Amino acid sequence: MSESASVWQGTLALMVLKTLEAMGPLHGYGIARRIEQTSGDLLSINYGTLYPALLKLEQEGYVSSEWGLSDNNRQAKYYKLTRAGRKQLARETLEWEKTTAILARFFAPAKES
Amino acid sequence: MRIRQLRALALRLAGLFRRKSLDRELALELESHLQMHTEDNLRSGMTPEEARRQALIKLGGLLPTAEQYRRQRGFPLIETLLKDLRYGMRRLARSPAFTAIALLSLALGIGANTAIFSLINTVVLRPLPVERPAEIVSLGNATGNRLFPTFSYPNYKDFRDRNDLFAGLVAYRFAPLSMSHDGVNERLWAYVVTGNYFEVLGVKAARGRLLGPEDDLQPGAHPVTVISYQCWQQRFGADPGVVGKSIVANGRSYTVIGVAAKGFFGTEIIAAPELWFPMTMQAEIEVGNSWLDKRGDENIFVIGRLKPNVTVAQAQAALTSIALELEREYPEVNEGKRVQLSPPGMMSGTMRAGILGFAGLLMLVVAFVLLLACTNLANLLLARAADRRKEIAVRLSLGASRARIVWQLMTESMLLAVGSGLLGLLLAYWLVNLAVALKPPVDVPLLIDLHIDYRVLLFTCLVSLATGLLFGLLPALQATKVDLLTALKDETSGAALRRSWLKSSLIVLQVALSLVLLVSGALMLRALQRAQALNLGFNPQNAVELSFDLRLQGYDKGRGLEFQKQLLEHVRALPGVEAAGIVDLAPVDLHFSRTPVFIEGQISERASNAPRAVSSRASPGYFRAMSTRLLRGRDFDERDDEKSPQVAIVNEAFARRFWPGQDPLGKRFAQGTADGPMVQVVGVVEDGKYATLNEESQPFVCRPMSQAFVGTNTVIVRTASDPQRMLALLRKEVQQLDPQMPLSGKMLVERLAMPLLPARIAASVLGSFGILALVLAAIGIYGVMSYTVSRRTHEIGIRVALGAQASDVLRLVIGQGMTLAMLGVVIGLSVALLVTRLMRSLLFGVSASDPLTYAGVAALLSAVALLACYIPARRATKIDPLVALRNE
Repeated sequence: MSESASVWQGTLALMVLKTLEAMGPLHGYGIARRIEQTSGDLLSINYGTLYPALLKLEQEGYVSSEWGLSDNNRQAKYYKLTRAGRKQLARETLEWEKTTAILARFFAPAKES
Repeated sequence: MRIRQLRALALRLAGLFRRKSLDRELALELESHLQMHTEDNLRSGMTPEEARRQALIKLGGLLPTAEQYRRQRGFPLIETLLKDLRYGMRRLARSPAFTAIALLSLALGIGANTAIFSLINTVVLRPLPVERPAEIVSLGNATGNRLFPTFSYPNYKDFRDRNDLFAGLVAYRFAPLSMSHDGVNERLWAYVVTGNYFEVLGVKAARGRLLGPEDDLQPGAHPVTVISYQCWQQRFGADPGVVGKSIVANGRSYTVIGVAAKGFFGTEIIAAPELWFPMTMQAEIEVGNSWLDKRGDENIFVIGRLKPNVTVAQAQAALTSIALELEREYPEVNEGKRVQLSPPGMMSGTMRAGILGFAGLLMLVVAFVLLLACTNLANLLLARAADRRKEIAVRLSLGASRARIVWQLMTESMLLAVGSGLLGLLLAYWLVNLAVALKPPVDVPLLIDLHIDYRVLLFTCLVSLATGLLFGLLPALQATKVDLLTALKDETSGAALRRSWLKSSLIVLQVALSLVLLVSGALMLRALQRAQALNLGFNPQNAVELSFDLRLQGYDKGRGLEFQKQLLEHVRALPGVEAAGIVDLAPVDLHFSRTPVFIEGQISERASNAPRAVSSRASPGYFRAMSTRLLRGRDFDERDDEKSPQVAIVNEAFARRFWPGQDPLGKRFAQGTADGPMVQVVGVVEDGKYATLNEESQPFVCRPMSQAFVGTNTVIVRTASDPQRMLALLRKEVQQLDPQMPLSGKMLVERLAMPLLPARIAASVLGSFGILALVLAAIGIYGVMSYTVSRRTHEIGIRVALGAQASDVLRLVIGQGMTLAMLGVVIGLSVALLVTRLMRSLLFGVSASDPLTYAGVAALLSAVALLACYIPARRATKIDPLVALRNE
């Protein structure tokens, strides 16, 4: 797996966690749509990539899944943030903010000049 | 974090085992995803088909998604491996004949290797059952280049007390025992040991206490004994009250003071005692034979524990300087005597060379056979790989990596290797049990404790893996080194011919190996045949023997002679008895001792350099009972008693050696010491074999029991009737005279079983492996020649089309095969000439380069090779040129 792909996977995982935090239990399709909406449709993802990411999060214990009924009465697998997932999200968010803050300092002087 | 990863790993591993249900769940999830998306698309106004299509596109395809998902779920590498394993098994199952041959030949090879290794493991590698066994060394008594295992007690004490490099030197001696307890009489073996024995060795008691220095102070004053754990279990029924119990051993009562730790079998690897007595009781145990204060009586084994950080070389040097002191102080008995250290457990190293040689030879043989099986299998795999060349070429051209394909082919070989390893282990287990059940016919408590332990398992594991690599890797590499173009076009001859050097050399090797084995086996068979015709100096047929020990039962000379006389009178009166006599030791027996002989009127040398003769003691009638021919003079009779002149009967070799060209009758000599009583020759008997079957004729002297009484007795009875019944009658007679006497009886002919045992084992091992090797070689030649013929169909077709006759084709194919076979025969013959020298001592005079054997085996092998070539060659003559050429 290439470097950029694993970075993308990490970012995607963070987005998934954030989405689940905001929306509560949600199925895969819903998560995908929500991520696209949140990004203001700037981000167009292959929905298929979402499922391995969800599986990995589940294997690590950050999300749990359960079959349930959707709004229009369809069987769907719902994903839910676990307590470990919340903690991980907090950690990752902090990490992300730090990273962006550092990067921002690099880009800020360029804007001034 | 670490824990999260472990958890993920565990879940992924679990994912390997419920793939089906997980796959179903994924399909459901993706389907529900698609339906939701399709509904949304419909709502935004697409046609149903378009809605579904767009949803699929957005998902990125159903199959790729599932594939990506699976990759996260399990382990691709392991799954590939499992797939390869399944594929390999399917392929093996599809060619059951190949698989059976492969498994069987490898299993035989690995099983034989494992069995022999377990023997070596027991005898050579396993340490003595004592504390820190690496510190223990055994002292050997060396004179010139001869090594004896035993020392005298006074010399032992000096070595013990004068050195400061040993934490302790201990001594022990085997002693035969007749033990009575709880109304049972048993014949078994014990050690008499010095008081420091258990302490220095660091052995613990399982019950009670062990012997200590306080139990070994005054001669005759310590009637105590320690029994082995096994003895406690088997003879005393694990009686918890055994400590304090009384037993009677050799006519005297002893108190059991303890049971030695479980697994302690004494300090020799091959023979285990059941009881230990203090050495100060030796005169009581060996009734009347007291040697504790005799510096010339070398009776005891000595081993010692080195102090920490003392090297064997240092200890050797220290003991040598003590030996020099002892030589100065007691030149009469200690002249030229040195000490030689060796690892313990093998009779002070005297048996080491023999055991190592024998084990090494066996190991060599089984390694040979395994190598043979490997080369054969490599050959078959090469032929099989040839069938798959097209498949492999297709896969390579489609982009499979060579490593991937080699890996897959190796999986198949490894499957075979591991399967054979398991089968081989079973076989070895069976062989080992068989060996344990076939106790060699000797009167010592042989410790055959062969078992499969972790070292043996490790060995089998390594051998199997190495085997798999050996026969698998080369064909796999060759198979994947395909020239894509020719392989795909089905043109073969060029590359195939270039590759054939490998197969050719394997054939040559096989033929050579099987020839070596067969020659060795055939030589052993000839030797056994020859042994039947050996002049033994007695007739082993139609005679029985019964042994007992009068001394152990407390008989003195007077009572003993009376017992012998009565017994012989009773026995000779039995119906069917032709002759009967008593001897101390009947041939052929390794226990024969050789005593120095000093001829009257000839210059006598010191005892240590004097010529020696095998010596024995017998009653009147013994030689007649053995059917040994009396050539001159007379047999012993009633006139020979203590008061009459001392007499002896000698053999021809004795007469030839000491009185060449003269009449030996009436000549006199002394035995043992130069100033001993003179003994007069009254009879001469024919030469015979005494200690071993392959000895040269050697001087032998026999003295009458009445003048030189000894308690170890064997009655020999020659009979015209059923020997088994005679043996029973004989037992009854002895028991009537003394109901307490422990007895051991057998057919006289069984005596030959032990001396012939090594040759029998060697003949059957070499012979069966040789035949196995022959079969394997035949299969190998057949396989390779068939393969060659099938590869050369095209070429042969052209030859036939151009006018070649069937005989030309036959000559072509057979010529190629037989060239290889003959090369193998020549190489094999030269190797056999070298190897068979190792077994000269087992050959009973058959020459190790016996031309008949070599020619016979070479002819047999050539015939088999010819047959193996002929079948494929005949097939070649049936090639129809039209079909062969159309095959393009």
